Amino acid sequence: MATPAEQLPPGWAAEWLTWNATETATGRTQWEPPAPQGGVAPYADNAPTGSPPPAHHHAKRRQYAAGQTQAYYGGGGEAILDPGYLAGQADSTWGSAALYAWQTHAAPGVAQPQYYAPTTEPEYINQPGYGQQQPATYGQPVDNLANQFGGMGIAGQKGFQLYTTNLLTSPPDPRDLQIPPPEIRLPPNSCISPSPTANSDPSYQRCTLNAIPTASSLLGKAKIPLALILTPYRSLKEGDEPVPVITDTVIARCRRCRTYINPYVQFIDGGNRWRCCMCNMTNEVPQLFDWDQVRNQPGDRWARAELNHSVVEFVAPTEYMVRPPQPAVYIFLIDVSNTAVQSGMVATATRTIKENLDRIPDEDGRTKVAIICFDTSLYFFSLPQGTTEASMLVVSDIDDVFLPKPNDLLVNLAEARESMENLLDKIGNMFQENSIIGSALGPALQAGFKLMSPIGGKIMVLSSSLPSAGAGGLLQAAVPFYKTFAIECSRAQVSVDMFLFSSAYQDVATLACLPHYTSGQTYYYPAFNAGRAEDAIKFAHEFGEVLAMPIMLEAVMRVRASRGLRMSSFHGNFFVRSTDLLAMPAVPLDQSYAIEIQIEETINTPFVVFQTAVLHTTCYGERRIRVVTMALPTTSSLSEVFASADQVAIATFFANKAVERSLTHKLEDARDLVQKSLIDILIAYKTSMTSGGAGASAQLAISENLKMLPVLTLGLLKNVGVRQSTQIPPDLRAYAQALLTSLPSQLLIPYLYPTFYSLHNMPPEAGEIGEHGVILPPPLPLTSERLERHGLYLIEDGQTMFLWVGRDAVPQLVADVFDLPSYDALRGGKTTLRKIREMRRGPYYPHLYIVKEDGEPPLRLWALSALIQDRADVLPSYQQFISTLKEKVSST
Amino acid sequence: MGAGWLFLFAVLYSAGLLFGMVFFVIMFSDLESDYINPIDLCNKLNQFVLPEYGAHAFLALLFLLWGQWTAFLWNVPLLAYNGNKVFNKNHMYDATEIFRTLPSHQKETYFKLAFYLLSFFYYLYRMIVALVAENA
Ligand SMILES: [Zn+2]
Repeated sequence: MATPAEQLPPGWAAEWLTWNATETATGRTQWEPPAPQGGVAPYADNAPTGSPPPAHHHAKRRQYAAGQTQAYYGGGGEAILDPGYLAGQADSTWGSAALYAWQTHAAPGVAQPQYYAPTTEPEYINQPGYGQQQPATYGQPVDNLANQFGGMGIAGQKGFQLYTTNLLTSPPDPRDLQIPPPEIRLPPNSCISPSPTANSDPSYQRCTLNAIPTASSLLGKAKIPLALILTPYRSLKEGDEPVPVITDTVIARCRRCRTYINPYVQFIDGGNRWRCCMCNMTNEVPQLFDWDQVRNQPGDRWARAELNHSVVEFVAPTEYMVRPPQPAVYIFLIDVSNTAVQSGMVATATRTIKENLDRIPDEDGRTKVAIICFDTSLYFFSLPQGTTEASMLVVSDIDDVFLPKPNDLLVNLAEARESMENLLDKIGNMFQENSIIGSALGPALQAGFKLMSPIGGKIMVLSSSLPSAGAGGLLQAAVPFYKTFAIECSRAQVSVDMFLFSSAYQDVATLACLPHYTSGQTYYYPAFNAGRAEDAIKFAHEFGEVLAMPIMLEAVMRVRASRGLRMSSFHGNFFVRSTDLLAMPAVPLDQSYAIEIQIEETINTPFVVFQTAVLHTTCYGERRIRVVTMALPTTSSLSEVFASADQVAIATFFANKAVERSLTHKLEDARDLVQKSLIDILIAYKTSMTSGGAGASAQLAISENLKMLPVLTLGLLKNVGVRQSTQIPPDLRAYAQALLTSLPSQLLIPYLYPTFYSLHNMPPEAGEIGEHGVILPPPLPLTSERLERHGLYLIEDGQTMFLWVGRDAVPQLVADVFDLPSYDALRGGKTTLRKIREMRRGPYYPHLYIVKEDGEPPLRLWALSALIQDRADVLPSYQQFISTLKEKVSST
Repeated sequence: MGAGWLFLFAVLYSAGLLFGMVFFVIMFSDLESDYINPIDLCNKLNQFVLPEYGAHAFLALLFLLWGQWTAFLWNVPLLAYNGNKVFNKNHMYDATEIFRTLPSHQKETYFKLAFYLLSFFYYLYRMIVALVAENA
């Protein structure tokens, strides 16, 4: 069973896993809600915590486990085991082979519910099989199991075993990045559902600590930041289970704290009432909660999606609406100045819009579109009903922007389809000879805003030059226009996406403000030239994906947490409208947010719950609430805090924090902050978790699960957005910073620590379609020591891919890959090779560069700068970085 | 006009500024408890920022013209602080950053509140001293 799940990059792994999750879900018939067959009423299972559950439950649960595993074998022939199943099966004959099979399959993205976790069955403690398990590299799960068995008893919830690693002697292994975060081990009976999807998948929501300290003093000792990383609106790849939708508008919420009912509440009073998991308030169960409105008969409460799934969507009744759901509106602001036309941007953009008209979400036929072109004047297009010809209206008074016509500028996409296509065909030619240089982006935005503000929607800006005319001209520095305008937009439910193309300075940092505060996104194509096929393809692909995105409109997001926890500060693309309410006019897919959490008072509960609710209008006009619930155990032990830390989430948080600091202070301060945070963690670990004896000076200790944090931090410090260098154009830096604060972990981690494959000596099965998609070769550590002269390598960070060809590459290899006779015939530089399959979430289409070992130095250096474990200029190598850390840690 | 009248004016004036600061404090706590949204808050408060700075500067100018050196020097630090903020263009409240910067705004407002309170008593004392001296 050596399927290389461990070798898959995060994207594949997640895909594979969700496939696995689907499998689990389809096996749903296997489980029944706490069934009456044991003679227990359904509600009895939800007795208040503390009272020991009846013993026969366990026996029953074990049976489920057995049934489930059989289902796996019978169904898919898969030896994939959830840790929970294993736990339940501990007394059966699973050998270590089975365990190993599971370990190697573990990959990021897995939801590891603990519903089959042993509760109180001491007969397992001395189970011989467990004692023999070696804490291997992928030892975490094994240890977890061992722990669970060892620690059962009084609390029923035993912590994570801590394994210390010496950073000086164990170099980073990229495969470690694909290990899932430390498992969430909830106390028994905290969840009323046995469903594997009852706790949040890390791709939706993850926490830097998977065991929450009970007091802020404990958190302070560990020095690990406490933060949530969330992507509530995550894309579904093929095979992903869709988010269950609750259509009966029976929405049970806590009277006091407004928490939505979820799998972590308790039913009391024979099921007539439920106790809130956040504030302990007792609430009535709504009358129609147990009524199946579709069949009009009594329904099964335990089958309700909100009690079984961590991520659900409620269809919202009218109480949740300020006004009727609005249609989706798209306004395109196209720069038609000389620069834009000459670069081919206008032609590519109009063609892409035209080709993607079918993909723009318009299920209900209500979607509206408008096009406004601008140079130093504004060009409106009127598309009256009944004609297929558009007429152009020019407004050259840009100081006081007005709409030249009250209607026909913003038209229904379905009705005006033909005239829209005609218009898009013509725009390119219309401005072909335009010699005007300059950009009235500010007035164009004001015009778009005027057109859209009664409804709200998305403004897509395509701009090739620095705004120069009218409001928002950026010829002088520090124009407050974009910030004030962003606030107006947020109020009117208008979101702005920026597509920027300039070859000269365009002030991306200022322009990116607009997407930042209106929940949009910035896309940057420096020195775009459609004459190069690669540029055109990249932009057309990404723009097309953005157009096709089913966006959430008029959204507000709020995160609630158990008593004692408070959301203290927010990072990401939105406007903070009140202390805990985030306004997002249009939420794109796969955007990540980070929220810092404060422990305000001592937590007395065995577990805590975080619930994210996004009230939104779908782009087909339905008001909905997406709810993501995550439960985490609490702990009062410092070693558990360390052992439960999620390095990927911490690195994601660091990226957000670094960018924030660089905006309010200097870049140098941002780097210092990140490095200091890492050193603080290392010092905290050294002082509290190691004996500090004679051997201590020869090591730099950290727990096994945080082993990759230093190299990820180094990757962040070397990232274009934060790196120390005077060579980086400010626009590139600003764009990198926009990515650092909005990419979900799955894309951010390779952006910090690129994946590096050796292609000339791949294992034979690599490249073939395996059970779980294309099998990829194992990733290598990012150091040029791995580059051989005859080799072929791929280095990719999700935004750029480098194909490195060694100078002694065998002609056969060159012929196979590039269809060229020899290495000498090969040209370095930007290129397209066959079809690159996008493996990760998000709209990004990386540029591919062929880098010859003896090719042009700048390209070589660029490619080599992705190998972040090497020394580059003033930037330290991994070894140097680690020894600096070591010095700083020992000097305290 | 005698020093007594100047300080009487200053007493009333600093009482006005004091109330202004109380208003700021109330507004910030309203923001914290979600009674007002950050956009309205900033629009409202930003109207008062420069008038407040101006009023304070005006009072300091009066002390300077009347040759009240102690009173003038007492006001110099705040004058410099305000001036520096205006010079760096960060005297206005920014709705997009307000929740991040709220603690520091509150600290500043409390500090100014204390300053105007002390000023109030100091001017009162100086007024009494001056009036007593005039009548004597
Ligand atoms: Zn509650």
